[in-house]
Amino acid sequence: MNNTIQLSPKDMINAYLLFFVVHSTQIGVGVHGFQRIVYQDAKHDAWISVLLAGLATHIVAFCMIKTLEVYGSNDLYGIQQDVYGKWIGNFLNSIYILYCFVAFFSVLRNYIEVIQAWIFPGISTWFLSITLLLIIIYAFTGGLRVMVGISFFSVILAIWVIPMLVFPLKFSTMDSLFPILEVNIISLLKGAHSMTFTIIGFEILNIIYPFIKDKKKTSKYTHLALLSTTFIYLSIMLVSIMYYTEGKLLKTVWATLTLFSFISFPFMERFEFVAVCFWMLIILPNLCLYLWAAYRGMIRLVKVSSTKFVWIFSTLAFFGTLMVQTRPQINTMNTYLGKAAFYIVFVYPVLLYLITMLKKKFTSQKEQNNEKI
Amino acid sequence: MKFPLPFSKSKHNKEKAPEETAAPRKDIGMMTPLKMDFVQLIKDATQDPSDLIVKDIPPNITLIYIDNLVNDQVLTDHVISNLQKKSVDTPDSIKAALSIPEINASTRLDVIVKSIVTGSVLIHMEGHSQVIMANIPKLESRSLSTPENESQVIGAQVGFNESLSTNISLIRRYIVSPDLCNEKFIVGRRTNISVALLYINGIANEQMVNTLRQRITDLDVDSLLDSAVLSEMIDDNSMSAFPQMLLTERPDRFCDGLINGKLGIVVDGSSMAIVCPQSFIEFFQSREDQNLRWQIATFSRLLRFTAILLSVFLTPIYVGALTFHYEVIPQAFLVPLSESRALVPFPPVFEALLLEFIIELLREAGARLPTKIGQTIGIVGGIVIGTAAVQAGITSNILLIFVALSALASFTTPSYMMGNVIRLIRFPIIILAGFWGFYGIMLAFCFILIHLLRQTSLGAPYLSPFYPPRLKGLANSIIRLPYPLTSKRPEVARPVDKEKYKPEPIKPENS
Amino acid sequence: MKKYRFYFIILFLPSLLIGCVETNILDRVGLVTLVGYDVGKEERMATTSAVREVNPEFQSNVEVVTTENSTSKGNRVKTNRKLSKKVVVGQMRVVLFGEELAKDDIHRYIDAHLENPTVSNSLYMAVAEGEVAPLLEYEYQNIDDIGQHIFRLLEQNIEQENMISSTLHEVGRDLYSEGEDIFMPIIKREEELVELSGIAIFKNGKMVSSLRPEDTFYVKLIGGNYKSGTFETILTKEEIPDDLMKNKPDEIPIAFDALTSEKELKLINKNTPEFDLNITIKTRLTEIYPDVNIGDPKTVKKLEEAISKNLSREISRVIAYCQSVESDIFAFGDKYRSSVRNSKLTKEKWHELYKNMKVNVKVDLTILRSGVFE
Repeated sequence: MNNTIQLSPKDMINAYLLFFVVHSTQIGVGVHGFQRIVYQDAKHDAWISVLLAGLATHIVAFCMIKTLEVYGSNDLYGIQQDVYGKWIGNFLNSIYILYCFVAFFSVLRNYIEVIQAWIFPGISTWFLSITLLLIIIYAFTGGLRVMVGISFFSVILAIWVIPMLVFPLKFSTMDSLFPILEVNIISLLKGAHSMTFTIIGFEILNIIYPFIKDKKKTSKYTHLALLSTTFIYLSIMLVSIMYYTEGKLLKTVWATLTLFSFISFPFMERFEFVAVCFWMLIILPNLCLYLWAAYRGMIRLVKVSSTKFVWIFSTLAFFGTLMVQTRPQINTMNTYLGKAAFYIVFVYPVLLYLITMLKKKFTSQKEQNNEKI
Repeated sequence: MKFPLPFSKSKHNKEKAPEETAAPRKDIGMMTPLKMDFVQLIKDATQDPSDLIVKDIPPNITLIYIDNLVNDQVLTDHVISNLQKKSVDTPDSIKAALSIPEINASTRLDVIVKSIVTGSVLIHMEGHSQVIMANIPKLESRSLSTPENESQVIGAQVGFNESLSTNISLIRRYIVSPDLCNEKFIVGRRTNISVALLYINGIANEQMVNTLRQRITDLDVDSLLDSAVLSEMIDDNSMSAFPQMLLTERPDRFCDGLINGKLGIVVDGSSMAIVCPQSFIEFFQSREDQNLRWQIATFSRLLRFTAILLSVFLTPIYVGALTFHYEVIPQAFLVPLSESRALVPFPPVFEALLLEFIIELLREAGARLPTKIGQTIGIVGGIVIGTAAVQAGITSNILLIFVALSALASFTTPSYMMGNVIRLIRFPIIILAGFWGFYGIMLAFCFILIHLLRQTSLGAPYLSPFYPPRLKGLANSIIRLPYPLTSKRPEVARPVDKEKYKPEPIKPENS
Repeated sequence: MKKYRFYFIILFLPSLLIGCVETNILDRVGLVTLVGYDVGKEERMATTSAVREVNPEFQSNVEVVTTENSTSKGNRVKTNRKLSKKVVVGQMRVVLFGEELAKDDIHRYIDAHLENPTVSNSLYMAVAEGEVAPLLEYEYQNIDDIGQHIFRLLEQNIEQENMISSTLHEVGRDLYSEGEDIFMPIIKREEELVELSGIAIFKNGKMVSSLRPEDTFYVKLIGGNYKSGTFETILTKEEIPDDLMKNKPDEIPIAFDALTSEKELKLINKNTPEFDLNITIKTRLTEIYPDVNIGDPKTVKKLEEAISKNLSREISRVIAYCQSVESDIFAFGDKYRSSVRNSKLTKEKWHELYKNMKVNVKVDLTILRSGVFE
């Protein structure tokens, strides 16, 4: 365990900011249209699937924190190097970096797709991706403090969106929710599995952990953030189920945005046009922190300056956005990412937890033996 | 973070003003006991100006001074009469004879020359190489007046003027305390301007004082004509449009800062004083908020914040909605909006830029003209050009209202420097809105947010107390909390003594 | 990197121009406020749209343009060919269907509107008696903007709870629901005015029949909650209680307002569906002739019972009629689906069950007060 991260208190963040970090990385582009995907399996019990997925995040986060606590002040990259040795560890680290890149890229491309579908059908992909990437580069070069600040503001400034869910209730009926638990447990779990793409993001904990000042409070704020995310997804899902009927929900690509379409004020109609643009602020922390997570891993592998890294990374992402053109391609990408994320975010941390526990036991036994000798 | 070129970080230590301590250089001349040589030396060193007066007082004393720099009254009453009346034979006896507080002696030419240009009378005695410097400067300053740029209805009506000593005496009147520290620096290789750094010992954070002291002493400039220049030079990020230090001409606002643990800088010859560290939100708080009842102060604060948001985003939203997002316009607005624009030949972005440009022109012209004419130009220009523009069909009257409203709103900012920024950032946002509608506005918003997050003021986060969030401070900066709830100082300056007073439970009035 | 920053900016600036997107400047587009669909004479689809244009010469005017093509987008292109300004649909408020078209199938039209993100979900849909084109093209004396007029007409009546609401969202939702059919207001021209003349009821996206405008009240009573409705009914001779007054008239017209209602629907038998429908109404009596002594609690009680009975009968009649045309506009099917586990309900299956459905209607009406003059 010689690769722990030593930081001065100046670079660290307060534990309560972790709430905003975890919460803002979880909510991103997935929230636009996750209802349809979950509904396909779980039908009108989709909200139970959301709850199950939320529960799963709590369990996984618990394992993550326990694993991290063993190492004191280290991130996933360091732990993997320690557990598996240099070569396998670095190989796994590269996979994780690749995962961060794909997740980053997927958020970017999905948002661009929403803008193109909804507001500017004629706008070119490369233009949107350049503008967004420049903003992200500007934030990234400001350092972690700035990125956490963006997380904070993206949560605070987006709070007003939640009361907007009251508007669609006018056209909702409770009957849509009944009978509860009509589908079998397998379908519910399938539905929960479909939530993966939407609910991931909290794995940033693996990377940001060494940067937290009072590490004892980590689990408190993480679970609080997971809870509030689950609550938001749950309320959106409930409103959507009550607002749409099965047939319509399955055909609506971005159910959340269509939900907003009904909202009008005396000074403004068609709220979803504002919402789509405003979502830029909500996806910014996603993008920034995935980028940062990839950077943290990269500096473990090779010596690279942050400026150089961010430009290479952005260039790759930029050319990526040009490659993925059509909606089916994007959907395929999301499905694959969801599948991969399920193993990387949900299954692997539990596994790693068990391995570290075993290793800890093993080493402590060995130490005891050594002492005896 | 420091200002880069051309102010290179030279290690000249100008902290100690009298330069006896510095090692003598080779070309420094020393004084001679001979009178003629002495006069000639001074004349050479000062380029023999026409107002250099050489006066002999028999038997062996010579006075040299610059006529416009010394106080005539003191010169005749205290120096010349005393020298004539009392018998003096050594430089030390001269020192004793003169009833002047600031009096020094030196034999070094550079010290003497520096002293004569700051308003000293040089007294030389034949046969002695030591020269007495009696500092009796004539301080020309205008009398105190009300602050022009930061007027307020309730509260003190006195502003700083251009004299350093008057300003410091004003500050000392507000803070009667031995803890008020006053450090003096000389800045400017050629102009030698006095700069005073003020803070209250026991409240101000020592680390910040050190940082600021270091930044001032590190400055290597040849002149310093105003505190605004100084503030831009010692800012954390001089490239940002947002000021990171407050410039104020109100002594009460200055002292309010000091009491909250901030540091103040007063520059001789400048009627604006610097207060730092300053957070973004504090630029929008007026000193008057403290003087009003908290409900009313809260109302005017909220009004001001709304005004800022309107000022920055109203015109861009109009441009964005009319150019791209006609869907979001409510049905009732459609007809009036489209009819008001029916005659306008330009796209909305051009129309908006044109109007904003006219408003800025009027403001600039008003600022350059004498006050009375300036007001007239503003009113006449506004009404005449506005009406004519609408009738000629180059702008729509609805936009005219929006633009006028946002201009008006931008003037509610209690800091002139910040008000300028608010007006400036509107232009890029309008252009972005004209190109990409709400997406462009959001781009600009994110950029500004990140930019503000990146800034620091003297190392303190610029967006404090929003980020990092401090609940009490947050509440007290958006609204003004009543006094029983504000026992703590704001966190921006990281004060050593955190509490203003012991918090007491709020008592109902009848108990 | 810093050295090149300047050049990056220079390179980036031209992209400002290349990245330009298509503008929709408000005064340079023709806003379609209403669009109507008919069965075309030559092509498959005929559209009539009311387009609002702003011109410098005559402040604003409305063009009514009729075109024929095989898709609605194709029709938009054709409409564009006839107008000086680009036609956009983002401010569309009403969609009308000709009666003949409605009887054919409106499924694809609803889909087309749901697909288009610029079309608002809150636009109203209605059926025009006869064809849409003559309704819109008629030169009304007092109506400048026919699109706006019809929108206001619908909006006003729906807000006053005089007409059932049929926004695009609701129509789309019901169309894709297993247990509910769509319904829309019917519009027709009445001399120089436009009038709401009934409710069109659909089965599987095909209009099968219509209800009288007076029946709206009952449809709304069954379907949901009233917040402040108005209503009038006539008590026939048989329904008038014997001892209500001395000289029993042939009929008593009664009017109410500030009506609030709550419904409770319960499935009591799932094999041959049987529902208990309990409707609680609280209201204010505004008109009654001949005069009845409202001050007497007994009289009021009797009157309440009489009206309740009258309402139940009317409601049963409306339900029975809809059953006869196999159109479930009341969402009984949704209730069935939500009450029966694993019902695997489909539209066809429900329509089979619906025919033989039984509903036990019970109305409980309370007169809270009369006006300020008894």
